Amino acid sequence: MIGNDIIDLHLACRESNWQRKGYLSKIFTATEQEMICQAPIPSDMVWLLWSCKEAAYKIVNRITNVRIYNPAKFSCTLSGDKEGAACGSISYEARTYSFISHRNDSCIHTVAVSHNIFLDHLDIYTGSSLPVHLFSDKSLIKNQDGIPYLVNCCTYSPVPVSISHHGKYVGWVQKKAIL
Amino acid sequence: MDKETLITQLKEIVKPYAKNEEALLNINENTDFVNDLKINSANLVDVVLDVEEQFNIVIDNESMERMLNVKSAIEIIEAKLGAQ
Repeated sequence: MIGNDIIDLHLACRESNWQRKGYLSKIFTATEQEMICQAPIPSDMVWLLWSCKEAAYKIVNRITNVRIYNPAKFSCTLSGDKEGAACGSISYEARTYSFISHRNDSCIHTVAVSHNIFLDHLDIYTGSSLPVHLFSDKSLIKNQDGIPYLVNCCTYSPVPVSISHHGKYVGWVQKKAIL
Repeated sequence: MDKETLITQLKEIVKPYAKNEEALLNINENTDFVNDLKINSANLVDVVLDVEEQFNIVIDNESMERMLNVKSAIEIIEAKLGAQ
């Protein structure tokens, strides 16, 4: 299972005032609020943690098919950097999800997976439009719950994908094709 | 407070965050904050905070969990006001 979330940092800065009274405590755990306070650039930490929660929520929603809004229930831990990308895990109820998060000047793109062994078997795309080259011989369809899949036009086998839009950016992740 | 008044007050609250003007114009009990009004999930917390301020209530995380549409928001506001 995969989930991803992309944040256009310029747009997030215009759309959200995370310094508003009560904002952080509604959606972040006490430990996460401490991480934000201690961070060299607190707003970067806000959006990194937020994207982790959203990416993990997409996995949970995919499994349970239940919509909820309780970001504080998704608890993030950072474990370090891997080639410039932030890594760590997100706990929700009894499950833990691994994540990897890439960032550039104006965008954070976080991908969560149900087990960290999957992190090395993903095609991750960050850009400004849908990566049509990734599905030239496939159709992008959504099931009745709005969950996207790529369907191979010859074999009809569905491959789960996760797509995220925000502002100027599109994030896309799918399991690597087995050759 | 009747339902229509609550919906009118909710309409004013969600206005700054709603990206779908038409859905906002036609807001009703069945309107979904995310799917219909296209409110960004990072702004849903602003809606919750604005509702708390406007109605002078506290929305705990358990209630917030369901606050994804007008119907649930009304139920939560009515329950909190009733408990005061």
